Order: sequence, then C-alpha cells, then structure tokens
Amino acid sequence: MLEHCVLAILREGESYAFEIVRVLSQAGELLTSEGTIYPLLARLRRDGLVTTSWRDSESGPPRRYYRLTDDGRTSLTAFGAEWARFRDAVDAILAEGPSDRPRPWARQGARPA
Amino acid sequence: MTADPLVQDYLGRLEAAAWPLSADRRTELLQEVREHIEDALSVEGGRDETTVRNVLDRLGRPEEIVSTEVDGAPPAAGAAVIREAAATLSTGADHERFGGVEIIALLLISFGAFVVPVVGPLPGLFFVWASNRWTTHNKIVATALVVLLVALPLLLVFVVALGRLQPMGASAQPMGAFP
Repeated sequence: MLEHCVLAILREGESYAFEIVRVLSQAGELLTSEGTIYPLLARLRRDGLVTTSWRDSESGPPRRYYRLTDDGRTSLTAFGAEWARFRDAVDAILAEGPSDRPRPWARQGARPA
Repeated sequence: MTADPLVQDYLGRLEAAAWPLSADRRTELLQEVREHIEDALSVEGGRDETTVRNVLDRLGRPEEIVSTEVDGAPPAAGAAVIREAAATLSTGADHERFGGVEIIALLLISFGAFVVPVVGPLPGLFFVWASNRWTTHNKIVATALVVLLVALPLLLVFVVALGRLQPMGASAQPMGAFP
C-alpha cells in the first residue's frame, strides 16, 4: 500500500527520497519510520516501477531523483481500482455492520469486469 | 559529513545490522541514510542533542530499516492488516462457493444413503474437508449434520433391538437362548 502511495506521489513528477518522506508525513503519518523509505524505493527500483537519475542539488551532494515508469503507472492504476473496491467494502461494513445478506464485495466480484 | 557521536553511533548500528545485504547495497543504504540525516538536520536548523535525537527517532531503528530491506515487510502501521484484508477480499471475490470437490461432497452426502444405506453419506465428509472454498465453520456444520443423519437411524435400530430384548430379559431367558 505504501509503495503505491509513493508511486502516486511520483505521478505528479519526479522527486527525491527526502521530499517523498515529507509528503507522506504531511499526508498523515503514513510512514512511521522514515528510514524504511530507502528499502521501499530500492524495491520499486528493482521491480522496474521507478527509474532514477542523479541531479545536482543547490546545497550538498547530488540527489537521486525517482521517476515513474510505464510499469509503475500501470501498477498504480490497478492498485487504485482494488483500493476503491476494498474501501467501499469496509465502508459498507462499518456503516451497516455484518448481516446475513450477501457481502457487497462478493456481489461486486461476481459481476463481469 | 557530521562528527556527531549520536549520528556516528546510529550509522554504526545500521552498518552492523545491514550484514545480510550485499556489499554494494549496504554502502548505498548507509549513504542514503547519512544524507537523509544531513537533510533533516539542515531543515531543523540546529544540531543540538534534542534535535539530533528527534531526527534519529523519526528514522526508526536501524534493525527495522534493514528488516524492511530483507523481508520486504510493509513499514507503515496497519499496512499489513490492510494488505492481508485486500488479499482475502480479492480471493474471496474470485472464489465461487462451489467447485468440483464441493459438488461431489454434496452429492455423496445427499444421495450416499441410497447407494449404501445408513453409512453412505460418510465418504462425502472426506470431500467436505478436502474443500478449500468452504470455511472450517461450514465444514463443522456439515460434519455435524451428516453424523446426526447417520447416528439417528443407528440409534433407532438400537432402540428397537433393545425393545425386543426387553421382554426376553423380563422372562429371565439367558441371552444365548435368543434364536
């Protein structure tokens, strides 16, 4: 899930790790340990969902910038659809509580895509 | 680069924890975290002990960073729960309640008794428990029903037999004399 938040941040344009962390924290404590962004970004890189390039920064050493690949974009779209389905199902349960009626997600899943 | 002992200590712990990683990745991760600390400290605009501790706290424990790298575990609180639920959800949606195993189970339980009286439905239970689509709760209910269905006629036979024996017992005939 967090991976896809990172991909979503990169949808708007390339960014670097420290900035991504800042966006995630501002969005609401999504990253409990900031340091874990680096393994996460490394994984996205290995999976080919992002590419990187080095750029000079105004101060300090060059920064590694991350950019979304086509695969990353596809993965993000797929996650968006699944997340919406999940969110709707949870919302329905929270609003009505469990019941004997067929589960909303089961009904949704039964429909042809 | 900083000479701050707290930062040095932190990076030392990270390096020690990172032994499972490849040498290249270990060097890279240390560099990334070192630069992160520098960035954070320059944003904070100070390097007193409280500020440094705060920056290191936000980074998380070195062991946690490395274990995320090794296991690919999701670092966000609650993320694991959501991912698991989403996985259940997607398999649940793709799963119909009935496949081959489930249909065989139902046929055997329903009509087994017509093929082999009384105990005919029992093999159906094998297929009930072989199902990966029904929940354990479903399976327990099915088992209870079948056992009850098999047990009832047997109990009935037993009671009838006992009823026949009773008068003989009353007439004090020995069991061996029963034809």
